[in-house]
Amino acid sequence: MGLVRKQAPQAPEEVSPEQPAAEALMRQLDDPDPEVRREAALALDGVTEAVHALLIRATVETEPRVRDAVLTTLAVHDTEEVAGALAVHLASDDPGLRTAVAEALATMPRSTPSLIPDLLAAPDHDIRVMTAMVLADLPHPEAKTWLVRMIAEDSHPNVVTAAIDALLPVATSEHADVLEEAVHRFPGDPFLRFTVQTAVSRLVGTA
Amino acid sequence: MTSDTATRPRVLVVDDAATVRMYHTSLLAEGGFQVDEAANGLEAVEAAMTTAYDLFVVDVNMPKMNGYACVEALRSATVGTPAPVVMISTEDRPGDADLAYRAGANLYLVKPVAGDRLVRIAGMLTAQRGVPA
Repeated sequence: MGLVRKQAPQAPEEVSPEQPAAEALMRQLDDPDPEVRREAALALDGVTEAVHALLIRATVETEPRVRDAVLTTLAVHDTEEVAGALAVHLASDDPGLRTAVAEALATMPRSTPSLIPDLLAAPDHDIRVMTAMVLADLPHPEAKTWLVRMIAEDSHPNVVTAAIDALLPVATSEHADVLEEAVHRFPGDPFLRFTVQTAVSRLVGTA
Repeated sequence: MTSDTATRPRVLVVDDAATVRMYHTSLLAEGGFQVDEAANGLEAVEAAMTTAYDLFVVDVNMPKMNGYACVEALRSATVGTPAPVVMISTEDRPGDADLAYRAGANLYLVKPVAGDRLVRIAGMLTAQRGVPA
């Protein structure tokens, strides 16, 4: 008896197990199993219609590895909608979320820069500290300029020291003046003085 | 290692900001402590699994593993360090200190911390463990 290849019925809407449809993946973002949620978030890479669902999941997700996957997928979109929605979480009470969001925003060089002026003017100095974290890793030609402006103008010493730390890896001797001026603006802050002394001595090659 | 360094209390300073690490390290070293550094929570946990520290000084906002998660990991069964933990952060929102204490920290301080205060606190906490600086 000859072998007869059995033809499996293929409905047009049928989805193979390897490539579940985006809708199924979006439902899996709410699965009780964190590993299912994480794999779904990663599999939604590049799926524009999943952005809203991913933004919601980023807000409610408590499992760090799932949240990181969600933010990684969202960051690839690099749109102002995504960046604006994520930036709200820089003020989160959840330290894991605000730090992960800062890392994600730093990987979005097309859309994050449009948010920077508002973030630099945020009344909450903790948000401005987080903004310095974003600028430390943001691959954008204006990042250094924004950090210098924070050092020169921000009214809170913790923001200034965060900006100095972010600037240091790319600072040159031309930044020595703005660093030393920061010490004069906050004469009672020993940590700021230490930071500037360390930075300036390194920049002018006398360390 | 000399006998001097062997008897000095050993502190791990955990902060992603290089200048903060240098600042806290210099203060504690001048205060008589032996100091190691870690740039994030993961590095800290790895260090704690191979070295018996007498004190941890931990930042909150760090990449890879934030300070609260780091402290929880240090207190977990895997690491299980009994050493005191001081968390130091720029954050002074309501509830931040509670988060630190729930994670297992002994003390929560807001930056900037005066140098003599940090050394004094470190001395008190390590002396309670019988390893005065």
